This record gives sequence, C-alpha cells and structure tokens, in this order.
Amino acid sequence: MTDSVRATPDDATLVRIRGLTTVLNGKVIFDALDMDIPRGKITSIMGPSGTGKTTLLKHITGQMHADAGSILVNGENVAGMSREQLYKMREGVGYLFQNSALLTDFDVFENVAFPLRQHTRLPEVLIRNLVLMKLQAVGLRGAARLMPNELSGGMARRVALARAIVFDPMLILYDEPFVGLDPVALNQVLKLILTLNRTLGITSVLVSHELAAVEQIADHVMLLSNGKVVAQGDPRTIASDGSAWTRQFFGGEADGPIPFRYPAGDYATELGFAEAKR
Amino acid sequence: MSQPRSSYAVGTGLFIVLGFAALAYLATQTSSVANVHQGDSYTLDTQFTNIGQLKERAPVKIAGVRVGQVQSITLAPGREVADVKLSIDKSYNKIPQDSVATIFTSGLLGDQYVGIQYGSAKQVVAAGGALARTKSTEPLEEMLGKFFGAGNVVDNVGGSYAVKADFTNVGSLSVGAPVKMAGVVIGSVQSVHADPVKLNAQVVLAIDKRYNTIPDDSAAAVFTSGLIGTQYVAIQPGGSPDMLKDGDEMILTQSAMQLEDLIGKFLVNGSSTDKKDAGDGKSDTPAGKH
Amino acid sequence: MNQHTPQGNNVVTQSLTQIGNCGLFLLTLLAAIPRSFRYVRETIRQLWFVGAMSLTIIMVCGLFVGMVLMLQLYHVLSIFGGTSASGMVVALSVYRELGPVVTALLFAGRAGTAITAEIGLMRATDQISAMEMMAVDPIAYVGTPRFLAGLIAMPLLCCVFCAMAVFGGHLVGVTWLGIDNGTFWSNMTAQVDVRTDIVNGVLLKSLAFGAVVSLIAVFQGFTTPPTSEGVAYATTRTVVASSIAILALDFVLTAFLM
Repeated sequence: MTDSVRATPDDATLVRIRGLTTVLNGKVIFDALDMDIPRGKITSIMGPSGTGKTTLLKHITGQMHADAGSILVNGENVAGMSREQLYKMREGVGYLFQNSALLTDFDVFENVAFPLRQHTRLPEVLIRNLVLMKLQAVGLRGAARLMPNELSGGMARRVALARAIVFDPMLILYDEPFVGLDPVALNQVLKLILTLNRTLGITSVLVSHELAAVEQIADHVMLLSNGKVVAQGDPRTIASDGSAWTRQFFGGEADGPIPFRYPAGDYATELGFAEAKR
Repeated sequence: MSQPRSSYAVGTGLFIVLGFAALAYLATQTSSVANVHQGDSYTLDTQFTNIGQLKERAPVKIAGVRVGQVQSITLAPGREVADVKLSIDKSYNKIPQDSVATIFTSGLLGDQYVGIQYGSAKQVVAAGGALARTKSTEPLEEMLGKFFGAGNVVDNVGGSYAVKADFTNVGSLSVGAPVKMAGVVIGSVQSVHADPVKLNAQVVLAIDKRYNTIPDDSAAAVFTSGLIGTQYVAIQPGGSPDMLKDGDEMILTQSAMQLEDLIGKFLVNGSSTDKKDAGDGKSDTPAGKH
Repeated sequence: MNQHTPQGNNVVTQSLTQIGNCGLFLLTLLAAIPRSFRYVRETIRQLWFVGAMSLTIIMVCGLFVGMVLMLQLYHVLSIFGGTSASGMVVALSVYRELGPVVTALLFAGRAGTAITAEIGLMRATDQISAMEMMAVDPIAYVGTPRFLAGLIAMPLLCCVFCAMAVFGGHLVGVTWLGIDNGTFWSNMTAQVDVRTDIVNGVLLKSLAFGAVVSLIAVFQGFTTPPTSEGVAYATTRTVVASSIAILALDFVLTAFLM
C-alpha cells in the first residue's frame, strides 16, 4: 500500500506547506509559513527552542491541525483527510520521537514488529525475518529480546529507528534524534540516517540543534524563527551567510536578534523604582 | 513473545473460569434457584383468620414444590379475616375447588408459605376464583415463625381509639410495638407502665378507628414475632355482640410467657449457656419502676 | 493545578466540565469498540492485568470481610439468640452491599490507578503519539481494551469476593464459633434470592461499578497533562473520583433495584 502512495506523480517536492498559520494559547507559532521539503533529500529544520519545530512535524503528520494554510504530503492535503486516510498516509511516514517512545510493554523485537502485526496478516516467519532485517540494519539484532528499560538511550533511539523504517516509508521525520546521546551513539545514529537516505532514497526531515552533526549530512537547511523561514539553503552557505540572525544562531551568542530576555514591561517600573528615579 | 502471549490467555481464561465458578457457587450453593418466579400466572383468593408472618411474595407450594407466590395481603375493615391473593403459575391450573390452602413454615425458623393440599372435587378452581377452605397459621408456628418479623406499626393518621389491658407480665413489650389481629397490624402500644396498686403492667393499646367492631370479650395476648423478634400484642376476637370502645378495658389477657424464651433457647443451638437469662433483660423496660 | 481545565473558574464548574468531558469520552470509548475488535488479544492481556492480577487482593479481602462480619454478627445476634441466622446475614449483606462496593473500591485502588498511571506514562513518553504515528488508534488499542477488561473483570472479581466472604463466614461461624453447618446453609439458601440478591446485587452493581471505575481510570489517564506531576495527580484523582462515584452510584442503584 505504501507503494501506491509513493507511485503518485511527482515533482521534486514531497511536502509542500503554504500559508501555514497556527496560534496556540494566544501565541503565534506559524505566521503564513511557506516551506518545500525536497524529495529524496535530507532536510534539516533548525531554529531556537520554542519556535515550533516539533509542532511543525506534528502538523505534517496530521496530529495537530493548523488554523489556516495547507500542507500537501505527496500531493494530498493533510488537513482535509478523514481518520482512515490519515492513518493510511501515516503508514508511509516514519516518525522518530525525541525520547524514542518504545512501547514499554513489549521487548525490542515486538516493538519493531508492532506496526507489522497491526497492519498486516503476514505469517510469523515473514514478520520474524523482516524484523530481524531491520534490527540488523541498526545493528541491534542481538538485543531483540531485551526490554526497552534495559536499553541505553542510543540503543533505544536505534530501535525506534528500526521500527520507523519497518514499513519502508517514503518519508521519515526525525524529532531531535541526537539529544542526550554520547558522541559515539550520536555518530551511529547520524550514520544510520545518512545510510537510510542514500541507500533507500527515503526523504528525511531532521529537527535538530546539533549544528556539527547537521552540517555533515543535511542537503538542505531551513532556519525557522518567529513562525517564518528566515533562511534556507546548503548548510555551508547558510553558515557563512552574513545576516545578524544566522551569525547569532550559529555563533551561539547569548543576545542578539534572538533576545536573551523574554518580553517584559519596564524593569524599574515593575520593581517600583520608577517614581524614585524621577 | 508468542509464548508469554499464550500464557496471558491461559491465565485470563483461568480467571474467567474461576469467576464463573464463583458465580455458580453463589447461585446454587447459597441461594435457591427455585426462588425465581417467571411466566404467566393467574390469581386465587383465599381468606385466613390468621396469616402469622406470611409476607407478600412468599412462595405458594403444592406438595412442597413452588408453584407461585403471594400477591397481596389485605385486611378488610370490619372483618377479622385477612384476604390473601395468590398468584399461581398458569401451568398449574388444575387445582380442585375443594383444595385446602394452609399457611406453613418452612422449617422451624424459615419463611412462611402457603401450601395447597388437593381436594377430591372434579371441578377445577377458575382463574380469579376463591379457595374456600383454608387453615391459618398456628400460634406455636407463628411464635417460632421468623427471624425478622417485626411488624409494621400502623400509622395513626386515620385516628385511633385507646383500649386498656392488664398483664401480669409483658415481657419486653415496649411502647410503639404493634397490635395485631389475625396477624395483621391494626394499631400500636401507646403506653406501658406498672400499676402501683394491682402490681401488674397496664398497657394502653391504640387501635385504628377502622377496626371498631372488635367484640369486648376479645382476648389480648403478648406474643413474640419469631424467636428473636420484637414482642407484640395479639388480639383474639371473642363472640360478644358489644364492641370495644375508646377507654374500655380488655379483661381477658394472656401474658408473655417464660416458655417462649425456653423454647427459643432450645431451638437456637443452646447459645443460652454463655448468656444470661433473657427474662432478666426483658424486665427492665416495662417494669423498671419496681 | 487547574491549567488543564482553563475554562473552569471554580470547583463546581470544574467538576461539571470534568463530568461532561468524561461522558463525552465514554462515547469515544464506545464508538471505538468496533475498531478494537481487532485488538482482542490486547483486551485479553488487559483482562489478565486488571482482573487476574487483582485476584489475590480480592480473595484475601473477601475472606477477611466475611470472617470479621461473622464475628461481629455472632456477638450481636447472640443477644437475641439468633446466631444461626448469622450466615444468612453475612451472605445478604455481602451480596447486596459489601461485595460490590468493597470490590469496586479495591479495584479502583489496584487496577484503576494502574490503568491511569500506565496511560499517563505512555503519554508522557510519547508512546500514545507513537501509536498515532504508526496508524494505530490509541483509543481503540489502549483505551477501549482497558475499559472492556474492567467491565468484564469487575463482576467476576465480585463473585470471587462474595464466595470468599461466604467461605470466611463459614470458617469463623461453623468451624470456630460452632454454628451448625446445616443451619448455616439452610438459612442462607432460604433467604438469598437469585434475582434480587445475586443478579441485582452482585452482578448488576459490580458491572456498573466496573464501568464507572474503568471509565474514570482511562479518562484520567488520557486527559492528564503528560508530566510526572500530572500523572501523580491523575492517579490520586482516579481513586477519589472512583470512590465517590461508586458510593453515590451504589445509593442510586440500591434505591432503584431493591
């Protein structure tokens, strides 16, 4: 069934976002956001914390709905989908959660087998082989019978990755895949993302802060701030683009266009010194 | 994972089986399935001079087998017989007209029920018909009748009249206790106090105005509903043409007997050994003044 | 603490909002029943967790409730010389009230909290979102099976509880206090009615309590803020709300059924 989705006619853009506007609890998350995610590439979405990068991923998968605008995934509008259509679309989309989100009731093998068991009636032997193949791909075939709480963070992330690719999706969304990993584990995950993209041609969307990691693998970087794409392009060009915003973000300066202080009233007034000063 | 999965299934299966086994145990070992009454039924009218502790929904039995239940018990004003309507299963519609309806007690302490003993008449009693021949509950049976038979006190809204009665011993009779005739509550005990001169207990009975045709030679007796139930005053109608009026005194009285206690204790498994004589306990309510 | 019900500005409004949301959630759960048929294994697994795993506590508590009830009743009834009725009184009070109510309270404490905490933690660790992403409906896969399992398990647990209570009563009454075995059983069978006591008392009540407790537990799990504080709070709330609901519903049911 994923094949039929993938076989729809294509341009170079897999996910096309137009005029996306979302307001959550009075805070504007997206302000008429336009974005194109190219097919078969690794696209990295970067930006300061709280700019709604994870929210964007949730919009793409239809877990959250926008107030206005459209999101086309492979030519189909996510917002207009019924539950069945949405679920069908999601079978072609892998999602790697920040904290792996393995089902704690099941061991590693069953976690990877879970989507297969829920959506197919494959014979047990075939499921077994498919799962072992995916586990082999992430290097954890030997851990098949461990429970999620026995895994390290890096291993859990790789199991989650194996689960995300078990249906051979056309698109994988990585939500902060490098957070909390030691350098070795980080490089393992990095290598896997790259391998999956290069060998299977899976379109990858990477939400991350780790500039060094992103630079190594991303084909395309989009910088998101205040609900808009402020810069995009090749990672190296972006890093060397001279705008104040990118300089601050990549240089990691504490204050600048990304303010250090949360918007507030006059300090002196709030402390009650305004009168005395006058 | 298929291994643990099937063990869940086995364990869950065991759990369900255990649950149903417990239900079957409750339903068969601790209750009588026969108490369920269903299906179409027809009614028969009967009249008893004393229904004892018979209650609505009590079983009606033929040869010990349940065939229906008591639908209603009423006491017509001005009459001393209780009208009892029996609701009997349609499939038992061949009851001879001269059959006898008797009030029995299942065991010494059990519920009372109506037993029908077949007569020999060819004619079958019709639906809505009446069984003329009845046998009422017997005093001893009534006395041993039931555990929780505290009769309902008639509310006196409709007005009542007072009748005095002297007893040598009222047992544990207390104010508010029911006054019954033919087993049906017709009033309540208004006051109990000791007479300082005659050295007996003077009881004032408040009887509902509807029952104003009680002969003045009727006897009042202190009975106990069941072995451990509350005591009440039973009025046994006499044959005098004059009726009891407000303020009259009933001459014929029968006091609460120690015999009751004795029988009671024998039947209740000899728990009397560790318990002081109930008679002592009883005397303090009414005779506390002496 | 009330950030998850921003529209409620006082206790009454908040409670009403909660009750209303809970009712709507029940509809969602019921609507998901057809879709959860394919997860029948999951229902069985939950039946194991909420039912079979609660058996020990239910059986032990049932035994002790029966024993203590018999002990108390024996002393009260011996005043009237009616100790032989104590078996019957134990059976009636357990079937009509204590069995369903105590089982439901224990069930809320044992299984209800477990359900709430489990679902809450599944949300906190994104497992629910992961299911959404794997195109598995979390209501049908997580919610409804737990609800149904609670619904099925409660009457069964209640039967076990009642049987254990009668057994406990028998143990104390007949074996220890010396009530005659035959009297014990005959009095019980004479008074206990299958329809009013066992079907109305044990089965119907416990079915209603099972529905209420598992609904509250699943609802709290699905609606609490997915943080450790939220989960802890929701677990407490499950016990409190279930207990109140059980006792209130018990009154209503008793008034209607008896």
